[in-house]
Formats: sequence, structure tokens, C-alpha cells
Amino acid sequence: MARTNTKRRRPPTTNRISAYLLHHLQSLVFSFGKIYHAPATTIMTVAVIGITLSLPGGFYLFLKNIDALSGDLRSSTQISLYLDLKTSEKQARALEKSIAAMDDVAVTRFISREQSLEDFRRDSGFGKSIDTLSSNPLPHTIVVEPGDVETFTVRSLQNRLQAMPEVEIAKLDTEWLERLYTIIEIAKRSVTIITILFAFAVLLIIGNTIRLDIQNRYQEIIVTKLIGATDAFIRRPFLYGGIWYGLLGGVTSWLIVEIGYLAISGPLARLNLLYKSDMNLITFSFQDFIVLITSSTLLGLAGSWIAVARHLNQIEPT
Amino acid sequence: MIEFHNVTKRYEGGFEALNNVSLQLDDGQMAFITGHSGAGKSTLLKIIALIEKPTRGQALLNRVNLNTLPRQRIPQLRRNIGIIFQDHQLLFDRPVFDNVALPLHIQGYRPQEIAKRTRAALDKVGLLHKEKSMPITLSGGEQQRVGIARAVVHKPMLLLADEPTGNLDPVLSREIMQIFVDFNQVGVTVLVASHDLRLIDELDKPRLTLNGGKLILNDLNHSDADQRNGIIDGSY
Repeated sequence: MARTNTKRRRPPTTNRISAYLLHHLQSLVFSFGKIYHAPATTIMTVAVIGITLSLPGGFYLFLKNIDALSGDLRSSTQISLYLDLKTSEKQARALEKSIAAMDDVAVTRFISREQSLEDFRRDSGFGKSIDTLSSNPLPHTIVVEPGDVETFTVRSLQNRLQAMPEVEIAKLDTEWLERLYTIIEIAKRSVTIITILFAFAVLLIIGNTIRLDIQNRYQEIIVTKLIGATDAFIRRPFLYGGIWYGLLGGVTSWLIVEIGYLAISGPLARLNLLYKSDMNLITFSFQDFIVLITSSTLLGLAGSWIAVARHLNQIEPT
Repeated sequence: MIEFHNVTKRYEGGFEALNNVSLQLDDGQMAFITGHSGAGKSTLLKIIALIEKPTRGQALLNRVNLNTLPRQRIPQLRRNIGIIFQDHQLLFDRPVFDNVALPLHIQGYRPQEIAKRTRAALDKVGLLHKEKSMPITLSGGEQQRVGIARAVVHKPMLLLADEPTGNLDPVLSREIMQIFVDFNQVGVTVLVASHDLRLIDELDKPRLTLNGGKLILNDLNHSDADQRNGIIDGSY
């Protein structure tokens, strides 16, 4: 009898499904209304999450810029071939042609001994002293730009060029670049560690906020349990609360980083001018923004889930 | 509706709130539980409301064994019960209407249906004009009536009330009790714990009297003759 009675009292299934969706929507709106009506606590929590996430976010952008910059540098990798002084210009030009035809060479440029001397006279300021020399001490030079900038292939190209009889020295000036790459690699791993730690911090912040929220609504939870609310029903508003905190915290961290980059863009433009470089500051792409917001929202959900799982079941009417 | 078979409830620390209590309350009956404070009235109601579980013996609600009911089925069973508390247990952060609508909201009724039923329940307790008021602005009697409206809004089969008139003056108490009698007349099973003996006498309903956790008087049709003797020889 109990069963039939229970069934009869239930609203029809279609209504129940739309009512279920409706409750999700209500929880979403209600939890937002709740944090909207407690602006002080909300702003503080959201600010803490935003600041916490802006650190890994900022580091990430910094690295992205360094990466782009070093990519530029890497593509300017060159091998300078200083030829034997005995090599004639004709021989040298023929050699340049054969090197330019190699598969892993992108561009070659020939600088004759005479031109080198002219350049040196003009740029160095030692013009007068050079005039005293009886003969030109500078060799013909071929500048080779590798087609592939991978360290290994560049090294192998360098070795092959060095082995050529006409080549006195094949100079690859990228050791400092390798060091920079190693440093960037260390920085990248550090950022990963920082990101994990700060994500964990956000988890704890949101978990604690939701825990306090649960304590504040102790009475309401008891009453709703007594009149037949399921655990899922009671859980829902808290989970949506966590989602809101995560979402708003993510947007805040994005704003903090964007404003931070806006603040340094002035001096950077001057730096660009000084170096005659055309480096542009990279900010968050749309994809980065989506990743940031999604992960902070998921952190919010996870943090509130932990709090809810730990504390909600302990609240039972007595 | 409710069956107790030799139910004993012993709390941690050894206090025995109920001792070997057997009773049966049929569908549509109304009864009072009386006794001094600490006699076990609240514990008996808590076992029916699935707040406590018996230490020994069997408690059944609608033939469902409450001893072994899994946790996740508790909400569904509680939806068949309306509970009224001495301290109302209203939520003070929302108006009267929202308090009363809560059980319907939980059970997933549609908004139009919620509004209709909530207003009907408020009308029944004479507080339709207070639907937008906050509970804190209401008198004790009005708060209790809001509590009753919330307990009956989803048309439960069973109404449990724990000292519903505990803080009210005699006139208000009589009004509240009359509301319970009205609900019983339309088929709702009602069980009220109260120590207001004068009021209970007026209402002429079966009584269950507890003393020190023992059922010493059982006026219900399934009563035990020996237990009935308790009152005759004056031990209560």
C-alpha cells in the first residue's frame, strides 16, 4: 500500500524531469544570488582566488613571451664560414653555390674579403690603422642559415662544413642560446610546480569557504533533510556556489594578469624602440582564456565537492 | 501505519529512552503520546521519523522495516510524513510562503502547482494573508501554524507533532489541536506528543502513556490488557 501511495503522490515523470532541470537552474541562480547578496565575503574569496591564480597565469605568459623571443633568436641561427686565405673569390663563389644547394641549408650569403674590409673600416673606427696594413688580413666569408634550427642537425651541418678543405673555421655562435634554452626549461618546470601548488591552494580556499557556508546553513540543512530532501538536492546549491567562486576567481585572475601586462607594455615599447626590435607582447589567447576559466571553474567544483563530501553527511537531525 | 514490536532504544552511555515498547497505530487513527519529560515521547517520534534507530526490536512504517532501511531510501520515506516541532524549525531567512513551499520544492513540483498547494495550506491554517511576511515578524502561535502548513502542504499520510503547543497559551493550544483533529477527519494519521493533559482530555482520542521509557497505558484497539491496568491501579 505504501508503494502505490507513494507513486500516486509523485508528480508525472515528464514534470519530474523538467522539475529536476528547474532545480538545477534554481540552484545556479540561488547560489549566485547568495554570493551576490554577501558582497564582502564574495569579493574577498574571489579576490584571493584571483590573486592566487594570477601568479601561475602571469608566469605562464612570461614564459610564452620568452619562448616566442627565443624562437626568433633560434631562427636567426647562422654558421659563419671563414675560408682559407688562399681561396680565390671565384672558388669561394662556387663553394657558396654548392653549399646553397645542400638540403639542410636555407640561405647563403657571400661576403668578399674586400667587402669585409670595407665594413670593418666603416664600422670599427680603426680605418686609419687598417690603411697601414700591407695586405687584407680578412678571409672571404660565407654566411649559412640552416634550413632546420634543431640543435642536432645544425651541429651536423656545422661539422660537414668544417670538413670542407676550403673552410678554415665554421663558427656556430649559439652556445649562449643553448644555455638560455636550458634556463627556460628550468623555468617551465618551476611554473608547472607553482601551478600545481597554487591550484591546490585554490582548492583549499574554495573548500574552506564552502565549509563555512555549510556551517552557516546548518539549520536549513537539518530542516530540509527532515522533510525528505535527498543528499543530491542538499548538495547542489553548494556545488554551484563552488562553481561560481571558481569562475569569478578565474575571470579576476585573467583581469589581474591583463592589467599587469598593460602596466609593463609602456616600458617594453621603449625597449623595443631602443633595440630596433619589433617584438610584440603576447597576452592570453582566446584558447588560454578558455583553459584558465575552465580550470578555475573545475577547481571550484572540486573544492566544494571535497567540502560537501566531508561535512554534509555529518549533519544529521538529532 | 505504525507498528512497534518490543522496541528498545538505548543511547550511548546506557540511558534507556524506550524499553520494550509495542504498539500499533492504524491508518487514519489519531493518538496522543503523553508522559513526563524524559519519558521517551520524543524518542518514539524520532524512531518513526527515521532520526533514530531502535537498539532492539522492530519498528515498521507502512510495513517498511525502519531498522534496516538503507540511508538513501530515508528521504523518500520521510516525504510521506509531516513533522511539526515544538520550536517550529522555520527558516528565518525567507518569507512564510517559501518556508511552506519547501517540501513541494524538494519533491520537484512545478512552480504553478507549488503556488496553488502552498496557498491552500496557508489558507487551511488561516495565514494566507501573511504569505509574504518574514517568520520573525509573526507571533509564536502564527509561527507554529506556519510549521503546520509546511508539514501538511505535500499531503502526507502521517502527521507527527512533538509538543506542538509547548509554548502557547491555552486558547492558541486548543486552536492548534483542532487543526490536527481536522486533518485527521480527512484521513491523515496523526500522532501528537504532548504533556498538556487537560487539552488531551477534551479531545477524546486514544492515548499512549510513557513512563521511564515503558508504555504504561495504551488506549489503542490493539492494547495489552496488562498495560491498561497500569492506570487503573494508579501507578501513573
